[in-house]
Amino acid sequence: MFHYILSGLRVASDLAMPGLIDADPGPAPPDVRICAGDVPLTLEGATHTGANWQMAADRILLRVPGIVRMLIDGGHAITWQCEESTTPADAAIFVFGSGFGLLIHLQQRCIMHASAIAVGGRAVLFCGPSGAGKSTLAAALGARGYGHIADDQCVLSGIEGGEVLVHPDGRAHKLWEQAIAKLDLAERSGPPIRTALRKFFVQPTSGSHAALPLAAIYILGEARTPELVRGERVAISALNLADAAIAVRLNAYRPAMVERLGQAGLYLQAAAGVMRAGGVFRLVRPMAFDAMDETIAALAAHWEEIGLAEGVA
Amino acid sequence: MKPIVWLASFPKSGNTWLRLLLANLAATGEPCGINAIGTARALASSRQWFDEASLIASGLLTAEESDRMRPALYRHIAAGAADPTENDEAGPDRGDDPLRAWRLVKTHDAWTRTTTGEPLLGGRAAARAAMLIVRDPRDVVASLANHNNSSLDEAAALMGDPRSALASRADRQPLQLRQQLLGWSGFHASWLDQSDVPVHLVRYEDLQADAPAALGALLTALGAPADPARLARAAELSAFERLQAQEAESGFREGPVRMATGRFFRSGRSGGWREELSVELRAKIEADHSPMMRRFGYLDDEA
Repeated sequence: MFHYILSGLRVASDLAMPGLIDADPGPAPPDVRICAGDVPLTLEGATHTGANWQMAADRILLRVPGIVRMLIDGGHAITWQCEESTTPADAAIFVFGSGFGLLIHLQQRCIMHASAIAVGGRAVLFCGPSGAGKSTLAAALGARGYGHIADDQCVLSGIEGGEVLVHPDGRAHKLWEQAIAKLDLAERSGPPIRTALRKFFVQPTSGSHAALPLAAIYILGEARTPELVRGERVAISALNLADAAIAVRLNAYRPAMVERLGQAGLYLQAAAGVMRAGGVFRLVRPMAFDAMDETIAALAAHWEEIGLAEGVA
Repeated sequence: MKPIVWLASFPKSGNTWLRLLLANLAATGEPCGINAIGTARALASSRQWFDEASLIASGLLTAEESDRMRPALYRHIAAGAADPTENDEAGPDRGDDPLRAWRLVKTHDAWTRTTTGEPLLGGRAAARAAMLIVRDPRDVVASLANHNNSSLDEAAALMGDPRSALASRADRQPLQLRQQLLGWSGFHASWLDQSDVPVHLVRYEDLQADAPAALGALLTALGAPADPARLARAAELSAFERLQAQEAESGFREGPVRMATGRFFRSGRSGGWREELSVELRAKIEADHSPMMRRFGYLDDEA
């Protein structure tokens, strides 16, 4: 078995996943077990269905056709089965990505689709849909000395009151070949995430394996018409509570699950916690590598403005 | 059940204009905003829509692997299964929309089959029909060069390449799912020669000559009501100068970031190629595409 700390949970898995935070097995039973096994093609009593998934009570059957299917059970176990000739190594990212993210949803906890870095000992999140540039921005900040916290999933705890904490999702960035070249990270680049993909694990320069208090959430947007800010290529603006509540819900790991699992209240509570901790901001910038310095300068200035520690974490 | 009607075209053939014309069929006073028609679920190659509907990150799949999942996803939305993320399209109130029984979804995908042999776009179980808008390739080439910020020769080479595709770079995550074009001739042959979904053809040039008539013929062929007053108003609200004015005022979200002229709605003319193309380039395009051009009547007047 492999043992990891993932999003604050102790995970025991017969499926290896490079790029995660290794942990000692310890005497207590794990929070989550990931095991190979027979996975059915249909789920009895499904109340919600998609083209490739079904949900019944607190179980989700998820299928990546030809690659892997998995049963996510009660928020504490994932059973996986490879399809066709796919190897476990090539299927692992789906189990630890979508599978684990859905498991957190089933646990009725708040999970954001975000990367995160440490600024002055606190966590700064970057949210946006796939392709918004979350990983690239976090890696570019990492190369400037900001500690790595998360690449894709950020579990928030403490939203009901007190300090909101962000739990790390692993120890590696996941970057495309182009980003690795543009950010000059070839030296830190490791194996591909899947054999057929030109996307690789990249070791961060430094990182936190412990949860950090939340400082701020940035929603990534591209500077393009019609919201192009004239005269200024990078713009950061604060969202009010109403807009922040919408942004937090829409940037849940799988936004549609919030509604399906009746979690609107949970994510509203999360938004209130985030506002208490520091706020939600919209970061609009050109999605071009040659604008990265400008984007990071604007962020650093903003961190000073909102009272986050100056300079590197 | 709300079947898809595909709005299919090779890039730069008037797809956006057709979408605006259709959207303006429901407009009462103000024209539909050019930035109000482009929601994720109105685009077949939307990565965000794929990820939300499948619960899988398409960025972790090869183009062939995501293609394999696409037919079932289109059939699922056509079957109208409940989806809490679904909102009706933004823009004018569509309560009075003659097209409200269908999902109008834009695509630049050629009609291809997946590695498991299914039609990529889900076949007849996903779509009731397709509207295919076609434009003279000699006019497409200049528009495509502007859109891609490339030379005319590069645009013509792409149009002549049967392996051409959009969003196909493998060293990064393109914003959209990969769309196989198969070249200009290959694209149109793929749609016209398949027998899964009925295709209703409209020529850009005919829309331009008489938009209400061409649009009305299209709606009639699809079995939708074609009220003359509505058609006339939609055509007026979608006039090219109005679209250009909207773009000048607020920009166009769907336009590429780097365009040669800085404008998506560039000229909207037919026959501009007579001034824009060299003799050699015109000869190349005609040599590459003459059988398909004849099929659409684009070489008739020069026989």
